[in-house]
Amino acid sequence: MSADTTHPISEIGAIQGSGSLPATGPVAWERIEALLHRVIKPGRYVGGEYNSVQKAWDATDLHICLAFPDLYDLGMSNFALMILYDVLNRQPDLLAHRTYLPAPDMIAAMREAGLPLYALESYQPVSTFDILAISTAYEQLYTNSLELMDLAGIPLRSANRDVTAPLVIGGGHATFNPEPIADFFDVFVIGEAEDVILELVGTFQRTRQTSRDEQLRALAQIPGLYVPQFYTPAYAVGGGVLDLTVADPSLPTTIEKRLMPTLPATPVAQLVPNISTVHNRAIIEIHRGCTRGCRFCQAGAITRPIRERPVDEIVASAEAVVQQTGYEELALLSLSSADYTGIDTLIRGLIDQFEGRHVSISLPSLRIDSFSVELAEMLSGGRHSGFTFAPEAGSDAMRRRINKDISTEALLSVAEEVFMRGWRTIKLYFMIGLPAETDEDMEAIIDLSQEVRRIGNRIGGRKTEVHVSVSTFVPKPDTVFQWEPLVDEETVERRQQILKQGIRGRGLKLSWNAYPVTKLEALLTRGDRRLGALVERAWRLGARFDAWDEWCDPDAWSQAIAELPSEELRAAFPSAQALLDHQLYRRRQPDERLPWDHLQTGVEKRFLVRDYRRSLSGELLTDCREECHACGILQHYRDLQTEEWRCPVLT
Amino acid sequence: MSSPDVMPTPSAGSARHRVTFATSRTLAYLSVLELGKVWERTLRRGRVPLKYSQGFNPRPRMHFAAPLPVGCGCGADLLDLSLDEPRTSQALSDAIAGVLPQNLIVLDVTAVDIHAKSLSELLQEAEYSVWLQQVGEAELAETVAAFLEKDEILMPKRGRKYRGRFYDLRTLVKSLTLDPATPSPWLGLRMRVTARPGATGRPDELLRALGLADRPRRTTRTRLILESEEAAAMATGGED
Repeated sequence: MSADTTHPISEIGAIQGSGSLPATGPVAWERIEALLHRVIKPGRYVGGEYNSVQKAWDATDLHICLAFPDLYDLGMSNFALMILYDVLNRQPDLLAHRTYLPAPDMIAAMREAGLPLYALESYQPVSTFDILAISTAYEQLYTNSLELMDLAGIPLRSANRDVTAPLVIGGGHATFNPEPIADFFDVFVIGEAEDVILELVGTFQRTRQTSRDEQLRALAQIPGLYVPQFYTPAYAVGGGVLDLTVADPSLPTTIEKRLMPTLPATPVAQLVPNISTVHNRAIIEIHRGCTRGCRFCQAGAITRPIRERPVDEIVASAEAVVQQTGYEELALLSLSSADYTGIDTLIRGLIDQFEGRHVSISLPSLRIDSFSVELAEMLSGGRHSGFTFAPEAGSDAMRRRINKDISTEALLSVAEEVFMRGWRTIKLYFMIGLPAETDEDMEAIIDLSQEVRRIGNRIGGRKTEVHVSVSTFVPKPDTVFQWEPLVDEETVERRQQILKQGIRGRGLKLSWNAYPVTKLEALLTRGDRRLGALVERAWRLGARFDAWDEWCDPDAWSQAIAELPSEELRAAFPSAQALLDHQLYRRRQPDERLPWDHLQTGVEKRFLVRDYRRSLSGELLTDCREECHACGILQHYRDLQTEEWRCPVLT
Repeated sequence: MSSPDVMPTPSAGSARHRVTFATSRTLAYLSVLELGKVWERTLRRGRVPLKYSQGFNPRPRMHFAAPLPVGCGCGADLLDLSLDEPRTSQALSDAIAGVLPQNLIVLDVTAVDIHAKSLSELLQEAEYSVWLQQVGEAELAETVAAFLEKDEILMPKRGRKYRGRFYDLRTLVKSLTLDPATPSPWLGLRMRVTARPGATGRPDELLRALGLADRPRRTTRTRLILESEEAAAMATGGED
């Protein structure tokens, strides 16, 4: 398909109307403008960001819309979409534009006015693009993805779309188990998309004259692309996934993730929003992957191996990105900043480089050690607002179980150093509901928080504060804990109550997650394809913005679950409780076929099982830069290994 | 009082400049802080040596004549910039010419005496153009006439700390007329309002008073009226 009659948005400096435009072209500015006085933060809906792509619609014959299915404020800070925007728009014969999900006030205004969702660069309706790529970075974006497609006027289910609709593709961390949304997407990108997105585009172009089915068959041949409609799960009576039928013998039975041998070039002409967003800063990804091996962490498991960007490349990109964006802040992105080889030298170099230019450097995800405190001090510029620790668990024993290698003693001594250097607030992040946890573990969290509070009081006086944030553990696919059940509601509420009793008083603040939010995340991250009916039903009942306290609708979800809204679900589960017990509350067996087993991260199941056993005996696993623990990555991807990898050399 | 040795000279340039600029469309929906960031980033891209305040939280020395309301573009707003090193106005203008965002237009850059009064001190009145839809011409004419006939129009003050208190909008409106030159399908209003501290007329408040707050509109601040430079100089001289 192609949009044949189009008018590029004119650059309007003076005040002038641009008249009416053909129905097949972009949404007229006047129609958008007519809604903007009614909504909060109208700057979300107008585009015009510095560095946004200026290619003419007519001059390119392939149009891709990159979508983040949540507010502009969040989506603009998503670096994965920024990279893809750069990768795609470097191609001369195609263009990539962006869209986000409007807030509920704008959605209502658009529906009332009959305005379809449009892309911000061109105001072209999303439905007129050839490909719609939606970020499925996390599970709370699922109902929003349906809302986004519906607002664009695109049929929700893949089965109901033909070549007149955009090809709908998904990608992001959650696609390592995309089964609960498999019915709504045509293709999922498994793993890193920078290379495979161009292969996808090439095959799409070659197969444009064919049917959607033929097109999908061609795409399914590309390594790393998963076309769920060709993989049909069969279920045991009253049980889990028994088997997976592959539609075509030429298709692979498992899909291995794609990974970049070296990190892709940093996009330097990064988009600069005009309005304030969640993070207003330029970004350089300094390394990808993590070698710490925390057993609960999905990001660490699915982004292996660790690849480090060379220092000189970072320095050159830093100059270019600041020059081309004008940003006042440069963030060095990674899962564990302090683990970058030579991070202190890099930071000193960057501070010197930007001396006197009023550009600050920020470093997320620091460890709990003196070295990290020194790094933070270098970057603080004399300001000491808050320092974040993520011990995750209260006791040494529990931290050994989850492979978070920091002792209470060491943590307290680092806390002392933080307060000595002038920080006033320490934030502590914990999880509850971890495997084999007991109520006594709550006492350990309380004791640790109180002890940090006492240290603050002793060193910095009564103005110091400790903010304790407690989330509930969700066993994620592809982690060592993927076989674990979700902790039940009663237990969580009891433990939260213990924490509320113990963590209070002057200078102590406690925050926690509501259980329904946790339960929903767990259901969607662990569920199988039968839950597609549930996702759609919940959305039809009004569930969207599941990550937003003010807009989420737990009742819609409860009702959808209670209804068991498909024949398949009713046949499999006698009750809603049976469904939850099956999907969430049972311990899965190591030999059980998991709904996500056909999508492979390169980390082998037998490694996860081995490490699970180590967890039970409280055995730590060392940082895998020091010694290889044979997770499987090097075995599977040896041919791709480059100098950027920090895996030890195997002999 | 300004002295000859700090007066800008064409060759050395000046450390303070007054920029006249216009915004529309995508840039009409920003808060004043956001428009400030747009300028700060533009100047950094242009490698303009903007002066910053001292301390832990340095702020750029950039001052608008008056904040633009969210949803309002401008035809000739004013911004004063202080620099670390003197530049000629032409050099400053050239530096940012290629790095401006869409819908930001620089109309003029003029060197200003570093001791001159600030824009907010000089500002007296502002003119706005408001184009409206979903309103009839007769209805609009009647509403405007009714507004102008009144001696006093009390509006609730904005912000929580003023809850229950009112101000008189009528005295802030110097003129209000229909603009026959407005292109269809819009109907246009032109208004001139006071723009001094504690006496700022706002176009959205005026629309509220006219009962037109819910109509689609395009608002532009077309002109800022400053106390004349001579008057400013005389006033300063008089105080000395």
